[in-house]
Amino acid sequence: MAENAVPRETVLALRDAIARLERDRPSGSCRPTFETEGERAGFSASARSLGGQDVAGQCRAKQYRIEQGGQDDVLPLGVPDLDHAMSGGLPLKGLSEIRVAETRDVGAATGFTLGLAALYQTRRKALGELGPILWISETMAGKEAGEPYGVGLSLLGIDLRAALFSRPRNLQQALWIAEAALGFSVFSAVILEIRGNPARLGLPESRRLQLRSVASGVPIFLLRQAGEEESSSAHLRLLVRPAPAAPFMLPDGTMLSTGIGHPAFHVVAEKTRAFSPVDAYLEWSSHARRFYPLDPVAVPLPANAADPVPVLSTSVGRQGGTPAVGRVVAFKRAS
Amino acid sequence: MRIVALDSVAERLRLKRGQGVAEARAMHPQIDVLPADPAADKAFLSALADWCDRYTPLVAYAGVDGLALDITGCTHLHGGEKALLDDVLSRLFQLGVEARGAIAASPGLAWALSRFSSARFSDDNVIEAGEEAAALGPLPVTALRLPETLTDTLIRLGLTHVADLMEAPRAALARRFGPLVFLRLDQALGHDDEPLSPRRPVAELSVERRLLSPVSGEDDILGLALQLATGLKTKLEERGEGGRQFELLLFRVDGKVFRLLAGTSSPVRDPKRIAALYKERLAAVHDDLDAGYGFEILRLCVLKVEPITSIQDDFSGRPDQSRALADFTDRVIARFGEDVLSIVVLAASHIPERAASLQPAGNVVVPAAKMLQAEEWPIVPVRPLRLLTHPERVEVPAADVPDGAPERFFWRRTAYRVARAEGPERIAAEWWIDGEDAPTRDYFRIEDETGRRFWMFRNGLFQRERMHPDWFMHGIFA
Repeated sequence: MAENAVPRETVLALRDAIARLERDRPSGSCRPTFETEGERAGFSASARSLGGQDVAGQCRAKQYRIEQGGQDDVLPLGVPDLDHAMSGGLPLKGLSEIRVAETRDVGAATGFTLGLAALYQTRRKALGELGPILWISETMAGKEAGEPYGVGLSLLGIDLRAALFSRPRNLQQALWIAEAALGFSVFSAVILEIRGNPARLGLPESRRLQLRSVASGVPIFLLRQAGEEESSSAHLRLLVRPAPAAPFMLPDGTMLSTGIGHPAFHVVAEKTRAFSPVDAYLEWSSHARRFYPLDPVAVPLPANAADPVPVLSTSVGRQGGTPAVGRVVAFKRAS
Repeated sequence: MRIVALDSVAERLRLKRGQGVAEARAMHPQIDVLPADPAADKAFLSALADWCDRYTPLVAYAGVDGLALDITGCTHLHGGEKALLDDVLSRLFQLGVEARGAIAASPGLAWALSRFSSARFSDDNVIEAGEEAAALGPLPVTALRLPETLTDTLIRLGLTHVADLMEAPRAALARRFGPLVFLRLDQALGHDDEPLSPRRPVAELSVERRLLSPVSGEDDILGLALQLATGLKTKLEERGEGGRQFELLLFRVDGKVFRLLAGTSSPVRDPKRIAALYKERLAAVHDDLDAGYGFEILRLCVLKVEPITSIQDDFSGRPDQSRALADFTDRVIARFGEDVLSIVVLAASHIPERAASLQPAGNVVVPAAKMLQAEEWPIVPVRPLRLLTHPERVEVPAADVPDGAPERFFWRRTAYRVARAEGPERIAAEWWIDGEDAPTRDYFRIEDETGRRFWMFRNGLFQRERMHPDWFMHGIFA
């Protein structure tokens, strides 16, 4: 769809002005995906007036800050693309939404959310606090996608001594518990897991959560299983997709191509302050307790990928093989 | 059909227990006959016992048709023994219950007098110390709570009154009838001890408030609960203890008693925190708590106490972490029950579902008490983040035999193609729990083409334990 050139130019100029106003903001409040390094440097010079410092340098600075224990008002993820889109990192308070399109992808979203929670917990522990995590899971969410498994959580890097799990009977109870938890600033993070897009969790409810979270300084993550994108008060909405993990690395440094390495995620920042959705591949290292960017090209294909012919004949009449019905039409984005 | 119970009108008509209904109807056609319902009688008696809690915490059942109240040390609160008995009987009369009562030094004597005394006024049934023998003597031997056959034999022998037994030579009678007769007699006279077994354990501490005009509003109840809790505070401080379990008793005007239990994860004596617990409890039981015409007595009991160490707030101005956490758990548990909050408890088992479980957090003081830590785990295998409560059957059309991973599978009616697989991790069954022929599981960590990672197992070794072992989905990895 071709846009009128003049309004587009006006919009860009306005955005530029806004970016200048928000200059003290440490990051790319507005950053589309770039094609070339030159364009990237040029844009950053004009929009964020970095004064000759290139993006790579900024990334290095950020890396340094991560290792130093983070900034004041944001928690850097350690993945430059996403950190840029999220204005420097994850907000330290407020409502953020993490959703998966399908229930079967929920493993990736769970891992990603718990990774974030572990980041927050590490930060609180550095301040000498207990920093417990509260995971509220609606009954149906647990039944469909499985209950939290302690051994696995512990292996991911969650401190089980500082983790509380709540299984309320319905959404109303879940919201009550979430709000009550946000009244106590002891928690380092609250995770509220729901299924789909329930009508009882609309704009007013998400606004309440957002306000309470900002007031108490406890971040809350809305983990939405199999849900559509819907407008809410969350400043941040991330879509998590499963991603093939990097090969398993042996102690001597060689890659074991059949082994499965660290948990990997494909994260799409759907709702941020950036112009357009940004996506990144990342992996979680439970040993270092942090995310690392992952190059999706580096993932080798399985050994038998050279032979594109299926080993067995494709099944007929199964649901897995049925093509999708209907066609895709352009809906307005919810937010 | 036989008569099992009579009211006083029927007794005056000289009807007897055990008489046939047809015979009674022939004698007095105007009588009403109701079928006996022991369960309902029991429920009614239990409700009456609840009602009697207003006089003393020690209320016990006395047979199927009576209650025994231990009023030691309680009488002065009600203006003496006679006034207490009058109060009980007149209130019961107003509730529509025809009751008889007696006060004596031993439960046996009180039982006998309340049932067999011929006194017209209840005042005469208050027996002072030293008058036991005189009071018991004229009563029939049935008043001694002996088995029916034994009573019949005694009456046939002419020993119709208790006084006859008191005068008779003991040794000969004991030889003839066994020790029970004189045991009961001694118990009634107070020579022998007879403990009452109260229905509920006695509270460690309790405070109550009697109201002139009943209250029914939730705010009023909460306000009174706060006052009662304030009354408890000094007592708890004197003892250096805090309450772990509280019970709020609400006596409704018409005799119904509501009990609201509330537990805490750590000893508490701060009145505001106790009242806050009851705020959540009242909100939770909102629909079940029918205030009717209002509550006339409120009593707050501490059922369980624990020593409390005095904590002084520090100067940092930050609220104490574990206290805030305990406060949060108490509020949630008071509102939604114990099951709603849990923590992970690890156990030494190789079977995945036994290795970790979610246990109610209320009993565990945060930070968690003794539990196996992951660092103490003997090996560090790969384990999923989420475990399905029940392993789900997976259809595997092709897998390497005997112990290879599947190449494709169908789970929840969707086809998956396996890109990479790690395994098998072979976990043998715990024969001391599951039995010797429980199948061995071969676990595989599987990644499909999109990058979803699953944990599947083959249930049983191929052809050794099962001809064609089934496959199950057990967990989901990040």
